[in-house]
Amino acid sequence: MSENSRMDENDNDKKEVSQEKMFTLKKWNAVAMWSWDVECDTCAICRVQVMDACLRCQAESKKDFYGKQDCVVVWGECNHSFHYCCMSLWVKQNNRCPLCQQEWSIQRMGK
Amino acid sequence: MSTPARRRLMRDFKRLQEDPPTGVSGAPTDNNIMIWNAVIFGPHDTPFEDGTFKLTIEFTEEYPNKPPAVRFVSHMFHPNVYADGGICLDILQNRWSPTYDVSAILTSIQSLLSDPNPNSPANSMAAQLYKENRREYEKRVKACVEQSFID
Ligand SMILES: [Zn+2]
Ligand SMILES: [Zn+2]
Ligand SMILES: [Zn+2]
Repeated sequence: MSENSRMDENDNDKKEVSQEKMFTLKKWNAVAMWSWDVECDTCAICRVQVMDACLRCQAESKKDFYGKQDCVVVWGECNHSFHYCCMSLWVKQNNRCPLCQQEWSIQRMGK
Repeated sequence: MSTPARRRLMRDFKRLQEDPPTGVSGAPTDNNIMIWNAVIFGPHDTPFEDGTFKLTIEFTEEYPNKPPAVRFVSHMFHPNVYADGGICLDILQNRWSPTYDVSAILTSIQSLLSDPNPNSPANSMAAQLYKENRREYEKRVKACVEQSFID
């Protein structure tokens, strides 16, 4: 058994040597674009959980004592979800989902 | 007073500190969270290697629905950087998405240093040398790298 494994190792060594000469890595650029995982239900625009009020509503809540503003969640046909507040501001300038660039159309709204 | 834009920038800053991308750093200026200073380190195996390039990022209250204004303070020689330091990069203009944050902006600019786009030049001399005389291009870039240590 030990002989066998030694044989294998030798084989591997030979393979590695021949592979080494086939190519050398000259340039390696790792580019990482980052985005929130949609599964965790964070609004990718304001970075707050969609179940909580968006940053805009949070910022305004201090001066607004007339009951809680209803900050709802909106789902697109692409299944991406955002705060309705966040998304309604964005679609005014570009009617595309900011995560997948598909034409934005509302699938449903709610909590 | 804390506006949505300022709150978002606080989150950006927290993420930048907790999960810093390699080769870039940034922080708001002391008295104004709407203006940031940032540094991009020249990517390895590019003529920009070893350079420390300073930038300023200016946000408006419309952030993140509108992109910030980003410019190099350090002198740059790059096909997509204007003489005044302004950057020609699609994601900072018409391909902006409100899901980007400061980390994404800085890493995108860093990758622009590695992969210039000579077809939409902001510096036509740099674009021409990049396409036709790579050795001279690299010489001019290396001069910027050396200058970046001083300023
Ligand atoms: Zn939101
Ligand atoms: Zn809201
Ligand atoms: Zn989508």
